[in-house]
Amino acid sequence: MIQIEHLGKYFGEHKVLDDISLSVKQGDVFGIVGHSGAGKSTLLRCLNGLEGYDEGSVRVMGQEVHGLSTQGLKELRREMGMIFQNFNLMNRKNVYENVMFSLEVWGVPKKEAAARVDELLELVGLSEKKYEKVRNLSGGQKQRIGIARALALKPKLLLCDEATSALDPKTTISILELLMDINKKLGVTIIVVTHQMEVVKMICNRVIVVDSGRIVASGETDKLFLAPGKELKKLITDDYAIIPSGTNIRLMFPREIANDSIITGMARELDIDFSVVGGRIERYRDDVMGFLIINVPDSEVERVLEWLKNKGMFWEVMDNAE
Amino acid sequence: MQNELLFALWETLYMVALSTLFSGVFGFALSIVMIITGTNGLRPNKPVYALLNVIVNLGRSFPFIILMIAIIPLTRMIAGTSIGSTASIVPLTIAATPFVARIMEGSLLEVDRGVIEAARSFGASDWQIISRVMIKEAMPSIVLNCAVVAINLLGYSAMAGAVGGGGLGDLAIKYGYNRFQTDVMIYSVAILIVIVQIIQSIGNYVYEKIK
Repeated sequence: MIQIEHLGKYFGEHKVLDDISLSVKQGDVFGIVGHSGAGKSTLLRCLNGLEGYDEGSVRVMGQEVHGLSTQGLKELRREMGMIFQNFNLMNRKNVYENVMFSLEVWGVPKKEAAARVDELLELVGLSEKKYEKVRNLSGGQKQRIGIARALALKPKLLLCDEATSALDPKTTISILELLMDINKKLGVTIIVVTHQMEVVKMICNRVIVVDSGRIVASGETDKLFLAPGKELKKLITDDYAIIPSGTNIRLMFPREIANDSIITGMARELDIDFSVVGGRIERYRDDVMGFLIINVPDSEVERVLEWLKNKGMFWEVMDNAE
Repeated sequence: MQNELLFALWETLYMVALSTLFSGVFGFALSIVMIITGTNGLRPNKPVYALLNVIVNLGRSFPFIILMIAIIPLTRMIAGTSIGSTASIVPLTIAATPFVARIMEGSLLEVDRGVIEAARSFGASDWQIISRVMIKEAMPSIVLNCAVVAINLLGYSAMAGAVGGGGLGDLAIKYGYNRFQTDVMIYSVAILIVIVQIIQSIGNYVYEKIK
């Protein structure tokens, strides 16, 4: 669906995208994560030609974006919806007119367009707000309108630029659930640009981590988060205080063993004491994954690690200075 | 006297209405070109923008009274005469057009760039973006600016009276100043004040309606 090879882009002297290569398959929910200013939004805009590029190749649905004529680019954009952090709706207009606009641009007959708008408002759950002025809506509702507008032309691809960054956690989850639904029911391929790790974990099946315009990590989401590399860890901020004495071990439970009582089993079998520093269970798309940090006396570390190895656990000894 | 006041009022309204209309049309067209060719425009074009920018600044720096006299030959060409209210419309329009261009450019620049980007993202053409996004989104601000322009032109039109342009300004100078008929001067000024209030109120009312 999308094939990017050795993409490079400069803003003046500054290289904002550096040797980016990736591919996105039909049906993927593909995450692009990184700090703000890492170049991820620029990368997203190269896909639909809102930004040009200087090096390499960006092929979307078989077409090189750079080489397209004005008309060709318009046609390509018709196949790609986009939603934004600040929603970018026309605040003076009502919900109906906002969604209608993208259909009008393409000259869809009035009657057909009106029916399509109703269908979309139904999909995003805002039918009863049809004639409400956009500025009277909440952030979450605005983003739903943004999604309805982006889907109006039945695109094959949906580009999300920090779509949930301006929303509170609860609303974020509802929007992400809607996006998942769209991906599954309508088969729309979704590209998600975000700095929020929870977003990636919840909906992306594949992800790349971008830092200073370069890809520093990439892979399937669950694998990447089970054994995060140095670059990814920089982005995951664990808010646990680490106990300075003893050894802190971070355990990661994939789905198959998330439900087993590993921890109590270990205490019983090894007959040791340890303290639990922190932990949580996270949702990865449809999976559940657990994290637990335990503190073990230095003398017992070897036995514990040996035991964990035998049980097929993923673990990581944490640096106390962390 | 009453008749003369009424006639002067009519002349003033005639001058202000037509010069607002003409300068509105020309100035707005100019502002569209500026917005397209500006640095962050849809089709940035430095030479064109720089040229328009200089022309607009030049036009705005001319004192109106000087401009009016300087373009008398042009006025005569267009209006057939250089005195009277119809003739005044020419310098009024020329003086106000750069001003309109500048403040309308400001209104259009205020349109959220994100909304424009969104329109591009689903394939809107440049023309669709200008006509259906920028102008529509900027409409409340454009309306308020129209009131500003009309009130400015009202002030200019009174000045045009000094060189035989007709209207309330003319009346106030002829009778009030030259013949010491203070009452006529006061009437003229009072009517001008009322007109300003009315124009501004209409502007505010429409703004509230459409914003």
